[in-house]
Amino acid sequence: MNSNFSCKTCQSADQSLENFISGLSVETSHHRVEGQSVKCGFGLQGICCRLCSNGPCRITPNGQKGICGATADTIVARNFLRAVAAGSGCYIHVIENTALMLKKTAQTKGLLKGKNTLKKLADIFGIQETDQYLCAEKVADAVLSDLYKPDYVKMELVEKLAYAPRYKRWMELDILPGGAKSEVFAGVVKTSTNLNSDPVNMYLNCLKLGISTGLYGLTLTNLLNDVLLGEPAIRLAPVGLRVINPDYINIMITGHQHSIFTYLQERLTDKDVIEKAQKAGAKGFKLVGCTCVGQDLQLRGQHYQEVFDGHAGNNFTSEAILATGGIDAVLSEFNCTLPGIEPICDELLIKQICLDDVAKKANAELKPFVFEKREEQVEEILDAITESYINRRSKVEINLQPEHGNNDTLTGVSETSLKDFLGGSWKPLIDLIVSGDIKGIAGVVGCSSLTAGGHDVLTVDLVKELISKDILVLSAGCSSGGLENVGLMSPSAASLAGPKLRAICEKLKIPPVLNFGPCLAIGRLELVATELAESLGIDIPQLPLVLSAPQWLEEQALADGAFGLALGLPLHLGLPPFVTGSSLAVEVFTENMKELTGGQLIIDDNAKQAADTLEGIILAKRQGLNI
Amino acid sequence: MKRIMIDREKCDGCLNCTIACISAHQEGSNFYTADLTGKTADSRNKIYFKEKEGYFPIFCRHCDEPECVMSCMSGALSKDSISGLVNYDADKCGSCLMCVMNCPYGVMKPDQTNTKMIKCDFCQDLTEGPSCVKACPKEAITVQEV
Repeated sequence: MNSNFSCKTCQSADQSLENFISGLSVETSHHRVEGQSVKCGFGLQGICCRLCSNGPCRITPNGQKGICGATADTIVARNFLRAVAAGSGCYIHVIENTALMLKKTAQTKGLLKGKNTLKKLADIFGIQETDQYLCAEKVADAVLSDLYKPDYVKMELVEKLAYAPRYKRWMELDILPGGAKSEVFAGVVKTSTNLNSDPVNMYLNCLKLGISTGLYGLTLTNLLNDVLLGEPAIRLAPVGLRVINPDYINIMITGHQHSIFTYLQERLTDKDVIEKAQKAGAKGFKLVGCTCVGQDLQLRGQHYQEVFDGHAGNNFTSEAILATGGIDAVLSEFNCTLPGIEPICDELLIKQICLDDVAKKANAELKPFVFEKREEQVEEILDAITESYINRRSKVEINLQPEHGNNDTLTGVSETSLKDFLGGSWKPLIDLIVSGDIKGIAGVVGCSSLTAGGHDVLTVDLVKELISKDILVLSAGCSSGGLENVGLMSPSAASLAGPKLRAICEKLKIPPVLNFGPCLAIGRLELVATELAESLGIDIPQLPLVLSAPQWLEEQALADGAFGLALGLPLHLGLPPFVTGSSLAVEVFTENMKELTGGQLIIDDNAKQAADTLEGIILAKRQGLNI
Repeated sequence: MKRIMIDREKCDGCLNCTIACISAHQEGSNFYTADLTGKTADSRNKIYFKEKEGYFPIFCRHCDEPECVMSCMSGALSKDSISGLVNYDADKCGSCLMCVMNCPYGVMKPDQTNTKMIKCDFCQDLTEGPSCVKACPKEAITVQEV
């Protein structure tokens, strides 16, 4: 296809994946890293402004302000708030669609698999309704009504969802969010040409967007999905490229909106659909997990064992999954659906269908999901995929990697399943933290990037350092995809942990890195943090708990990060979020934040050094609690 | 002997060479942390822009007959006979600015305190060669054997 690309690929923490990619005849993101290795210094520092036709203006020794007079501090803050607003918008789009799906499912008396979560939500929201469908509809309406409020009307569920001491602090800082969609709008307006120039005001706005993103886009998306799709249950599952079974018609799913696939998943086990596949020469249809929607499916895999083969890989593994030739179609509904998959799909005759136009790929068929037409849409999709299977299998080479990944990744961990595993209370975990057997907890979350050492490199190195220090790691996001494929989420990874954590893991037969699934589940980590703080009667910033998004990639990650800081948690990033051109930004994030929310930003692309810093913070927090 | 050669048609005026030069001469800094507005934000190269003509990257040529060396009374500037590079010894510099006045390309300049000169050192302490060349996304500047 493309004979003119670099044959040098970037490093990957997953050696077997790196070897596979370096031998491919199709170009992937891993091949393009070298050609993009020279970066723009102004972009890296966040001091390039393209907001008007006087620009682009850059802060240089001979031009210390933009033509309009904007300083480096203003330019950096505007760029950053814009990115956070966009990132928030992405997650708010996901919760909006998820709430609409719950509402319509309830109205049509569809299957609600997570009865316990529905009751939990009804209790939190103060909804008293015995009929499950009416209850679910009211829950969905409560969420939607908040999302659609104007920015000058505060969202009502924030106080109900947030931990009380946090809510109080947010109120004091005047960062309680209005309607989540309107807040995105406000963030965009505020950062347009010659509007807000006050960096501190803009950073506080970022925290506000962090709260709406975190509580709605993350936490509630998980919980509404639990109602629709079933609650996660802890189990061992296969992961990696090995999950692709060529005997089936394989559908790779990418995105973040799991509920869009509900009806499709149900249909795949129906006799007539299996017969359709058999007629084409396959044993049936299988879903192959990729990106966060795959992680989410894996998390709930207990409910979908017949149709879900397993999670193959994260964002920057998607091109490799397709390059095996074993995938017959891609169904995408959101990011992280890389443009890089398009030529590979063309080359390998893989059908692409986009179910949400926000993620429309250039050469894909657009079929926006319509709840009312889901039955006929699914039939059309299955027909198109079957046709693709028949057309391509005799023409393309299949290059499977049956050795890649493993069969014993522990998955299905959530705030509820973990607590159940511990016997229905957080006390056993708290006791282990108090005794020092577990020094502290690190939430290692977010994406993978191809910088910071290469694909998953910093994430894996950092996690190895943390567990060796007896720090329990919880992961959510594409970070989980990398960590599970290299075996850190298998029980045998206990041998890499420090002696105390190792003993616990071996006793309980669990890995030292617990898999919460998709990036959306960062909201589940927040629930764990809140429940731990509640059990101890302390505020979240006092917990010996740190966050790290070592290989954060995108705007959504910045909105997640803003939530972490609003919660008052220390947050480590491998690379700076394009703010270092402003000394004020650096001061606000690394120092002033401690006073504002209790949080702080730590930037370090050295795994060992970063782990030492995070351990130091955990030890200081332990000292603060006299343990 | 190696020199930085310029292909000005390829220059987009991105100023990455400027950042690279500043960063290379601020100890411990990198592209993220280079201070571009402070007292040490001095670049040894510059890009001129002329309407209709485009960008003119200006770099020290380490001339065969360097006017700066010839005009230097204190001996701070010298031509290395082996590498051919024009080296600057700040300890010997008398801050007379004669090199600034005599450089035909306008490359020489004083630092922001007006006590020392800002002069390309070809990043001789770096094994990978001049930082500006490494940072150029267009290969408008390249190191070539002459």
